[in-house]
Amino acid sequence: MIEIDKDQLIRCRICEAVNISKGDETVCRRCGSMIYNETFNTQKSWAYLLTAMIAYIPANLYPMLVTKQFGSVEESTILGGVVMLWEHGSYPIAGIIFFASIVIPVMKFLVLIYLLISVKYPIGKDRKVNKHKLYYMTEAVGPWSMIDVFVVAILAALIHLANVQIVAGTAATAFALSVFFTLLAAHAFDERLIKENR
Amino acid sequence: MKLENEDDLDNLILCHQCYTLHEEIPIADGTKACCSECGGILYRYDSRLVDHGLAWSITGLIFFTLANLFPIVQIELLGHAQYITIPKTFVALFDNGFYVVGLLCAFLIFIFPFMVFSVNILLFSLLKSRKAYALTKELLIFLSHIKPWSMSDIFLISILVALVKLIGYAQIHMGVAFWALIIYVVIDLYITKQIHISEVWMLRKRLYKQKGYR
Repeated sequence: MIEIDKDQLIRCRICEAVNISKGDETVCRRCGSMIYNETFNTQKSWAYLLTAMIAYIPANLYPMLVTKQFGSVEESTILGGVVMLWEHGSYPIAGIIFFASIVIPVMKFLVLIYLLISVKYPIGKDRKVNKHKLYYMTEAVGPWSMIDVFVVAILAALIHLANVQIVAGTAATAFALSVFFTLLAAHAFDERLIKENR
Repeated sequence: MKLENEDDLDNLILCHQCYTLHEEIPIADGTKACCSECGGILYRYDSRLVDHGLAWSITGLIFFTLANLFPIVQIELLGHAQYITIPKTFVALFDNGFYVVGLLCAFLIFIFPFMVFSVNILLFSLLKSRKAYALTKELLIFLSHIKPWSMSDIFLISILVALVKLIGYAQIHMGVAFWALIIYVVIDLYITKQIHISEVWMLRKRLYKQKGYR
């Protein structure tokens, strides 16, 4: 017979088994993976997040797509591409690209910064926000930022004639890395640090 | 809260979305249990999960192979015909010198989706024959590590976005692989939504218990 407190129960992130928290180092009883590690709690996530934010700057400054047409070279950045699509009248596509490559990454940065700060230093009246839900939403919507990189890859593979050519720009690498590191940051974030809402 | 021993924890479940604690109760075959706080799905009960899982994984892998072998789209531009396949997409990035993006794309749209399905097939066939108790554990752990990185669904939407960009410049013909890819993505989504990893863990426990494993 063991007596436990409800707040002591944590979920293993790998196999989703319910475990009793034993403090600093809890090993999952089912899959044996480490589910709580005090030393790495937020630092790892911060490191990935900062890398992602740094990579996001060149991603917006350098051209994403380079179109070479009959000798003339046209370069467009992420935002430039959105504006061009909007002017051409493809509003839904402009919306999707804008949402996937500007709104989602920026929202994700802000949400992760908020979560990382608030688990360490509780900010005033934030108890009403369900942080588990917030984290879940960021995780679910995050990978969709990759749309722009895939579109560039498809266009570059599809259009490479002698006269008309589309090549990926420097920003493609920067943006792909930025998305990759935000995903890592979200994975590294320890959701068991959110304690208020249990 | 009082528990007999640690194994009793298997009757408890924490909601995926909002972390509310629930107790697992037996439900009818083919139904699901939802969270009372947020409405998210907690678990399902399917008495033939192994067969369903195996069947869907094999079908998925067949369509994945088709989607990779044949051209996805073909365009006609200035009298030239060009087509792409999934492998060609990231190989073209390598050719242009974009090794980082190329590698990332290769993993996200080819290697990880392929691995998810082949690991699923191996896992369910081992569960079906009730062999290799230790290996199934490793496979399940591996599966939850790679699952978030399989991005075929996002790639499908990207194809559509890329094609809309090309409308007006070129003539577009859909290839066989495009339809195969759609079916594959639907199966992929169905498996991810329908079969939670925790249900497979519980199933594993039930199946091997009868054979004398702990």
